Amino acid sequence: MQSIETMRAKVGMCIMFMLTLWLTPLLSETQVDNGPFIDSECIACHTERNPKLIEQWHSGRHAITHDVGCISCHGDQHDDSNIKARSDHTCKGCHEGAVSHSYTTSKHGVINHLEETEHGWRQPLQRGNYRSPGCSYCHFHDASHQDTMAQERGPEMRQWICSGCHSPRYVREQLANGERQLEIADLKVSEGERLVTTAAEDQSNTQRALRQNLIRHRKNVLYGVGHQSPDYQWWHGQPALDGDLIRIRDSLLQTYQQQLLSNSSKE
Amino acid sequence: MGYRTLAATLSGVAVFTLSVSAAYVIWSKGGNGSGLYSRHWSPDSVQGYWDPDNFYQPSKSVEGVFEATLCIQCHEGITPGIVNDWRASRHARIDEPVYCNDCHGSNHQQLHLPTPVVCGNCHEKQHGEFRDEARYGFPSHVLAMERAVDAPHFADKPKAEVQSCVQCHSVATKCDSCHTRHRFSAAEARHPEACITCHSGPPHPDDESYFASAHGKIYRAEGKDWDWSKKLVKGNYKAPTCAYCHMDEGRHQVAHKSLWKFGLREVNPHTSKNQLLREQWIELCSDCHEAKKAAQWLSELDRERKSAWAKLYRAEDVLKNLRSNDLLRPAADERPDYPMGSFWRMERIGFFEGQASAFYNVSALERDYFEMWYFDNLGAYKSAAHGNPQGVDEGHRRMAATLERIETKAQILRHRSETEQSVIANPAVTDLWMKGKYTDFNRTHN
Repeated sequence: MQSIETMRAKVGMCIMFMLTLWLTPLLSETQVDNGPFIDSECIACHTERNPKLIEQWHSGRHAITHDVGCISCHGDQHDDSNIKARSDHTCKGCHEGAVSHSYTTSKHGVINHLEETEHGWRQPLQRGNYRSPGCSYCHFHDASHQDTMAQERGPEMRQWICSGCHSPRYVREQLANGERQLEIADLKVSEGERLVTTAAEDQSNTQRALRQNLIRHRKNVLYGVGHQSPDYQWWHGQPALDGDLIRIRDSLLQTYQQQLLSNSSKE
Repeated sequence: MGYRTLAATLSGVAVFTLSVSAAYVIWSKGGNGSGLYSRHWSPDSVQGYWDPDNFYQPSKSVEGVFEATLCIQCHEGITPGIVNDWRASRHARIDEPVYCNDCHGSNHQQLHLPTPVVCGNCHEKQHGEFRDEARYGFPSHVLAMERAVDAPHFADKPKAEVQSCVQCHSVATKCDSCHTRHRFSAAEARHPEACITCHSGPPHPDDESYFASAHGKIYRAEGKDWDWSKKLVKGNYKAPTCAYCHMDEGRHQVAHKSLWKFGLREVNPHTSKNQLLREQWIELCSDCHEAKKAAQWLSELDRERKSAWAKLYRAEDVLKNLRSNDLLRPAADERPDYPMGSFWRMERIGFFEGQASAFYNVSALERDYFEMWYFDNLGAYKSAAHGNPQGVDEGHRRMAATLERIETKAQILRHRSETEQSVIANPAVTDLWMKGKYTDFNRTHN
């Protein structure tokens, strides 16, 4: 015969076991069916669990302008879906060209490329968890689903994120210098725009193209500053803008020359 | 007057001239900035991080003297990233760890950023090799900061703008360009990616040309499985990386077998000195390849360079001719002057004489030449040196196209000047280059 105590202990263990079985899916995400899921299913469940996160995503550019939903970054399988979304490769799938190349060649990008096998994107995107920031560490810091580097999130956010590794003064100085570099690029853009708009009423294709170059090269400075890529700040940025100004002036010179010629031929 | 008196007078004059020149150079380096034009500019506040020796001022925010674990206790909370990074480094794992204060000092009001000299206190051999590079002249890692600040455009442009330059050129003033802080890993620096933050982009597409080469392709496919703790010597790596060839045997300088140099001036590869360097290259390639084959590749590089310079000289001739006939607009007096322009009239800002500053404040034709010389020529050169034939073709195709454009435009300019009214009479044109939001800002901010 079993003693009452043993019986009680066994019943207690049974109850605990049942409770554990019942609670596990609520406590741990890994027990969720692995999918595949579609966006509406993710949203249905996560609106209950992480309403803030869904709201952030809804109000961001991914949702509004680009129709980028959950599975675009997290994949359609539940297991390791965060690891997938944290990886630089996921972002680079869409963000190609200058924006991505400026990061890839930066020290941050290089370190992540060399060490991603080691860290495996397994840690949450929080201070101290990564040797070097990946795209997601800065732009979706602490699992925010609204770009944490966006202008509207304010300089304090950037200051906080970067100073997880760099001294507060270093971050302040770098960010301030970045602003100054962009102001300079803006001066070049407005110098060029003014030259183009004041001088020629009917803009030629050349001048339109030159104007496009100004915008593109100004963007390179922004990417260079944001991603700490000297090459995008410089050769793809400032001197490229200088070249645009030279060519805009030259095209104006050609226009004047034409005018002068046609006037003199009328006389 | 005897021969002796003449000799004495001449040596007197020589000594006087030399002393005056030396005094001038010392005086010119004594301004707010650094380098030869230091009196013409003041540093941007961020420059202290790129050139700590000259410009870093310690923060006065915290008082006290801290050492070893005391620093770590506090910084674990403030900057956890770097503490973790240091913990994973060799500095932390050796018997007598190298703590924060060993490199930064312990008085928090007088902290400093470690320069190569600080690293050299322990890494004597590496620091010695790094310093030794100076005797080979430019291009050079150890002279890179001087090169940046002594460029006329560095002195001229707003200092916030040219901070982009010193980020790479700080390879002379900090060791963490290649061994990133605070892990300072030798294995990291052996990877080609360690070089690409600076060695990429239009004037030095070392990354593109290497990754497109057979060597780079093997690295890309298999590099993840290689043992990067191994030394850069024969037999340790299946394909060479930047460091394997340029810093063979881990030597901390890249200049000792620099033969074709930066590619900005023509080099005679057949001088006896360069023949010796060529033999060193062939010996290195022979770690894997047949010596004969290596010699053949290097001759191909010679031919590529010759053909590039033939195009560049033709373009230069056209431009020199236009300038001597005053057909380039803006002419020297129609564009804003450099701050030091009153002393050195910057006629030479244009296309020739190796001026890296010729990317702005010049005529469109000169800018075309600049891109031909600085981007396409260097792109072709790096492609030839790193084994990317498509890059060579692309560079030469672009150079040929620019040359043709320059020649056509020159013909038009000459024809107009012979037959038509000069455009310069138009007042709208005379100050076309002198005004503008950036141009005005640039003239007042050095």
